[in-house]
Amino acid sequence: MSALRIALLIAAKDLRQRFRDRSALIFAIVAPLGLALIFSRLIGPSAAFHATWVVTDLDGGELAMVLRNDVLGGVARAGVADVTDAPTEEAARAAVANGDADSAFIIPQGFTSASESGRPVTREIGGSRPRGLATDVARAVAARFGEGVVGIQLAVATVGELSGAPLSAADHQRIAQAAAAAPPPVAVVEVTTDLRALDLATFFSASMAILFLFFSAQAGLLSVFAERRQGTLRRILAAPVGPGTILVGKLLGAFAMSLVAMTTLVIATTVLIGASWGPPAGVAALLFAAIVAALGVSALVISFAKSEAAAGNATAAVGITLAIVGGTFAPSAQAPEAFATLSLFTPHGWFLRGLGDLHGAGGGIATAAPAVVVLLVMGLVTGAIGVLRARRLVAP
Amino acid sequence: MSSEAEPESAADPSEESAVDPTAPDLDEEPVEADDRPPVTERPVVLSVRDLHKRYGALEAVRGVSFEIHEGETYGLLGPNGAGKTTTISMVCGLLTRDTGEVTLDGKAIDVGEVAAKAGIGYVPQELAIYPDLSARENLVFFGRLYGLGGSQLKDRVREVLALIGLTERAGDRIETFSGGMQRRLNIGIGLLHRPRLLLLDEPTVGVDPQSRNAILESVAALGRQGMAILYTTHYLEEAERLCDRVGIIDGGEIRAEGTTRDLVASIGERDRVRLSVSGNVAAAAAAVRAVDGVQEVGEHSDQLEILVANARGLLTRILSAAEGAGAVVRGVDVIEPDLEAVFLHLTGRALRDSAE
Repeated sequence: MSALRIALLIAAKDLRQRFRDRSALIFAIVAPLGLALIFSRLIGPSAAFHATWVVTDLDGGELAMVLRNDVLGGVARAGVADVTDAPTEEAARAAVANGDADSAFIIPQGFTSASESGRPVTREIGGSRPRGLATDVARAVAARFGEGVVGIQLAVATVGELSGAPLSAADHQRIAQAAAAAPPPVAVVEVTTDLRALDLATFFSASMAILFLFFSAQAGLLSVFAERRQGTLRRILAAPVGPGTILVGKLLGAFAMSLVAMTTLVIATTVLIGASWGPPAGVAALLFAAIVAALGVSALVISFAKSEAAAGNATAAVGITLAIVGGTFAPSAQAPEAFATLSLFTPHGWFLRGLGDLHGAGGGIATAAPAVVVLLVMGLVTGAIGVLRARRLVAP
Repeated sequence: MSSEAEPESAADPSEESAVDPTAPDLDEEPVEADDRPPVTERPVVLSVRDLHKRYGALEAVRGVSFEIHEGETYGLLGPNGAGKTTTISMVCGLLTRDTGEVTLDGKAIDVGEVAAKAGIGYVPQELAIYPDLSARENLVFFGRLYGLGGSQLKDRVREVLALIGLTERAGDRIETFSGGMQRRLNIGIGLLHRPRLLLLDEPTVGVDPQSRNAILESVAALGRQGMAILYTTHYLEEAERLCDRVGIIDGGEIRAEGTTRDLVASIGERDRVRLSVSGNVAAAAAAVRAVDGVQEVGEHSDQLEILVANARGLLTRILSAAEGAGAVVRGVDVIEPDLEAVFLHLTGRALRDSAE
């Protein structure tokens, strides 16, 4: 019987045992699925920000129209907020009080002329306390608009001061328009807004899958210790089977179990949570590479252990640490820069990055190629060292 | 140390067996012994030459040599720590030897000689089965490791299940089995591929009497069918009942080898007197040792094991000496010479006490 057939035989036996062991199935499939469901439901609705604002324009001037139509209208067109008009200040305040709106913009009478003549300008922002975030965003929008107005006022005042003579209303308007049209000295240009944009359901499905993938892979490899404990390893070694064949069999078994678990999770989260994993071929390549990486890292960690308990503790600690650093509990975009950089040293970080790339511009399989290559290299390098070291675990 | 004696291993048919009714009657299987030459004239299956194994300062095996012939059951009898398991581990290629040679049908056996292990069936001392698999699944898995497949595997699994009395429970998980049933499966796995050599490492340790008897019957039947068997044990009665020849091992060395009859004869026609005593046991031992005609005295917690040429003639003097030394004699047994006496003679200790 060839070594490969014996390795497959051992893998099939391991797989059968894993399926019999319901706790392993719960750990590999049910737990990550449940956590992904919980996280996406708990965090999803509040994280998908949307505000309802009401505007009362008591001024009706040009600058007020800019604020209403261009600034707030732009936010509305971006889908961030619904903006409605109220005829009076009382109506706007009542809308907030009744919960029909999160915040109210009150544009006072004389707003435009005051801005153009350099006089102080007052805007009122009303918000309800339970909807603090919506009010904060409204305040930020108004403040940013106010900075622009201040710039215009500064330009008008400067020209007036330099000319040494009073400016006419026409002058005010001309200078204000020129200042408003001037490009800002510093501009932030967003060029990656469509990259790595996993929705929360997909993000948590993927992050829980990669987190528990490590546990699934570890459980398969830890069965070497179980075989030793129950004496079956010694019995297999007394048969015409080499130690290397046993290790290959264990790796194949762990790979098969991980593949089953990940495939089940992808399908289940797609159906139950609405996760959008991306192009199937690209996702399959990422899953394959991630499993190889998980097996490699686990084999390396286990190769240093002297007992089953030590191996279990070490692999769990490493798995959790890599998951945290790799950004499985919060998108790395929300993490400090250092964490985002550190995540690139983990399979978890590259897996999530690869999935994000699949969702980015183009979104073809090729976009995930860098992540797939990095994951494979991680897995093969750590796995090779781990297997060489782990041969002592299956020595007669 | 050759022997012309036939196996003394026939099972006692009066003993109750744990084997189920579907199992074949092992005693009725064809017995070829009558037509075959004495075991030591048959082809050599296993040859072990000058095995040595050292663990640091401890030399666990020191120059062990023996041969096992076709259809022969060879017993390695010795206490725990005597070197039995170390020897058997080297024989089946599980342990690297320091020096020495092991051959199976002339082919070298070693840790790296993977293919050569196919001719060996190994039954470890501890259970080595998968508790979450059924009996049949265990057998199929190990059978395939040895290259069995298809109808051959199916037939052998059925035969072995019948042999070990587990046909009715073949589909049940092992974790639901009694200890004795698990032991029988542990042995059955070793038999599955019809090995040339079967290695049984203390297979009855911790087994209830019923299952133990079934195991001994099975082993005896295998020997009669022509399988070469290496059987390690520290139970004298098992060695006497099963083994064509016995090697008495102690301290990593084989101290004597032969049939039970040869071994008993080698220490002379001596009786054994066992005194149950209390009080000053050490003084009693010294006093008995001084009695003319007493050859050896083994001293244990509350017993004296005394070897004498003629127990009846010396019994009175032995009792007087023991009591005169301050001990109270609470019981006396006079025992016919057996392997225990041989062991005591060779090592100065009783095997039963050494084995504990």
